[in-house]
Amino acid sequence: MNRRTVIKNLALVLSGAVLLPSCLHSDGATFIQLKHIQLNAGQEKLIGDICETIIPKTATPGAKDLKLPAFVLKMLDDCYNKKDQEAFLAGLVKFTDMVKAKYNSSFSDLSVKDREAVLAGIENSAKPDNGAKAPARRRRPQKHLQDDPLMAFYWDIKQQTIFAYTTSQYFMTKLVFYDMVPGRYIVHYPVSKLKLA
Amino acid sequence: MANLNIDSVKARTFDTIVIGSGISGGWAAKELTGHGLKTLVLERGRDVKHIKDYPTTNKFPWEFEHHGQLPAVVTEANPIASRCYAFGEDSAHFFVKDNEHPYVQEKPFDWIRGYQVGGKSLLWARQTQRWSDFDFEGPARDGFAVDWPIRYKDIAPWYSYVEKFAGIAGNKDGIPELPDGEFLPGYPLNDVEEYFAAHLKTNYKNRHVISARCAHLSKPNQIHLDQGRGQCQNRDLCQRGCPFGGYFSSNASTIPWAERSGNMTLRPFSVVESIIYDEKLNKATGVRIVDTNTKETIEYFARIIFVNAAAINTNLVLLNSKSNRFPNGLGNDSGVLGKYIAFHNYSAHIGAEYDGLKEWTVDGRSPTGGYIPRFRNVYKQETDFLRGYACGFSAYRFQQHKYEGVGSSLKEGLVKGDLSPWYVGSHMMGETIPKESNHVSLDPKLKDNWGVPLLKISVDYDDNDEKMKKDYIEQLTEMFTSAGFKNIQPSTNHQAPGLDIHEMGGARMGNDPKTSILNKWNQVHACKNVFVTDGACMTSTSCQNPSLTYMAITARAADYAVSEMKKGNLG
Repeated sequence: MNRRTVIKNLALVLSGAVLLPSCLHSDGATFIQLKHIQLNAGQEKLIGDICETIIPKTATPGAKDLKLPAFVLKMLDDCYNKKDQEAFLAGLVKFTDMVKAKYNSSFSDLSVKDREAVLAGIENSAKPDNGAKAPARRRRPQKHLQDDPLMAFYWDIKQQTIFAYTTSQYFMTKLVFYDMVPGRYIVHYPVSKLKLA
Repeated sequence: MANLNIDSVKARTFDTIVIGSGISGGWAAKELTGHGLKTLVLERGRDVKHIKDYPTTNKFPWEFEHHGQLPAVVTEANPIASRCYAFGEDSAHFFVKDNEHPYVQEKPFDWIRGYQVGGKSLLWARQTQRWSDFDFEGPARDGFAVDWPIRYKDIAPWYSYVEKFAGIAGNKDGIPELPDGEFLPGYPLNDVEEYFAAHLKTNYKNRHVISARCAHLSKPNQIHLDQGRGQCQNRDLCQRGCPFGGYFSSNASTIPWAERSGNMTLRPFSVVESIIYDEKLNKATGVRIVDTNTKETIEYFARIIFVNAAAINTNLVLLNSKSNRFPNGLGNDSGVLGKYIAFHNYSAHIGAEYDGLKEWTVDGRSPTGGYIPRFRNVYKQETDFLRGYACGFSAYRFQQHKYEGVGSSLKEGLVKGDLSPWYVGSHMMGETIPKESNHVSLDPKLKDNWGVPLLKISVDYDDNDEKMKKDYIEQLTEMFTSAGFKNIQPSTNHQAPGLDIHEMGGARMGNDPKTSILNKWNQVHACKNVFVTDGACMTSTSCQNPSLTYMAITARAADYAVSEMKKGNLG
């Protein structure tokens, strides 16, 4: 690395350090440039914390380690239509208010246990045929299953977090093995020989 | 100046012109150049070179901006293309976008198009079943459309010819209604597909489940290696273009082959406005194109012309080729041009579960599946509707993940999971009856960016289709029930014609010039140096996937054209 590059990188780091704190203000600019959805930094943090609650860091990396929140936001911004995005944003407000009313706290300030309880509460209140179905190979956003924007908000984040996770390089190379080539097709294959991860 | 003009005309003169570079145009190019004819291949879209122009072909899911999903701006701007199963973030660049090439839907018609060198041969489902005389004799026996001017014996050697070159995987099944061909090793059926095949064999007459023949190199021969193609790797990512050339496309096979002959001139960005008819010579002398980049109109000349613009667009070219001799479109003395359009009815599915064979599964992926050849009205008319349907049939099981909850249990559920029971699924592929009322025509006012009239499409289902759909559900339900399948779920959809991507007809073949456009050699009856060998030539549709038949018809017609030229009978 030559001197000029070092200086340039240092400048980037420094300017980042200067800019960073302002991004953390709840009414400040966001980290991720979105085209359609307007979120403040606090809302963006909330979504990151929900993603991390859905896929937490355990012995293996969690949502934030794998940068899933940024991808989830990108998907919401790019792949959902305006109507769905509006429902999502309405649900975001409803979610924030609901947590505030119940815990007198923001979601991000809750313990992991309480965060999980909040999300499980929403999921359990869904009608039976609205179960958390978010197959990893889904190509298009799941249709909103009911009118309640809280449900839309939660299912959108959950579907896209699962999608982001199960199509991430980490997941597809370290946890399951995506074998593009060489191909094989073996019929009459004993289940006992199958390696289910 | 005069010399310049002569030189310019000379530079624009070829032995043959092929309009279109898709599955049939590629074959015309290969055959004609193979006989030493200087051939101009016109393609309205851009060039797509094998491998080099497959930008997504080796990408992993996480390497796509949206991991394979399409942005809403794309799906909302393209409701028609978005309805096609193969339209995704990895393949959207091979599809025509809805607003790029508008058409008028007098009735709903999902026209799926691929405007590039190779056309839709990059995107096709690669299923290649032969026709038999039960298909060619259909119209004559059942009294619809007009009699096909050819029979199985006329085309059988050409099926063999194209199968050997394209590479078709399949088994010798010995079923008269779906003749065997020149096959590479077939992909085996899995345990439950075999179980259902045995069940049908024991309990029904003339009902079979076979491994669907497909254009994949299960085990390439020298002729495929010579094309620079290799063994299919079962990637199941065909719509991206295959870097191995594992499946047949114009791009991997016929077009580079024609190129190597040194006799092909490929001209992308060339929309054919019309075919030029010379009223003194009583023949076509060339074509008029619009360069889509410069908007310049240019004329090219040749002794014979092959029209392979993709069924509906072939109708457009012929309808727009007007002259004093042919005021209603080239060769349209009979008035049937643009009429008797038909398609395949894909509007019913059925799924179920099977409790047995739990100790067996499948490892890996297959490029094909099971196929049930038509069993209705084959040997005689036996129902209250005409003709019948083939069925796709596949059995599968998969690892069942748990999506409930959040946290570490969810993480575990996404990785682990038991194997599901076996599921089976089938879809209907129904023959539709060509009718005069199902037609395309030129819009009298609206034109596209190149001054070519927009096409109006007026194609719909009919009562025969409804009855056939009902019968499919009844028969499959009964066959599934007697096989012990459980939780049988039939479903129907209302997909518009066109989404089957098997649109056919409009310039049908026939013996009588009063009721057809093409003769038994695919020559325009009234303009013998113009050949039409794509889907537009189809007199009836049967229910097999049609591309293999287009390939065989094209190779046969090209052989005839060459022999006639040598005899001095053409051009």
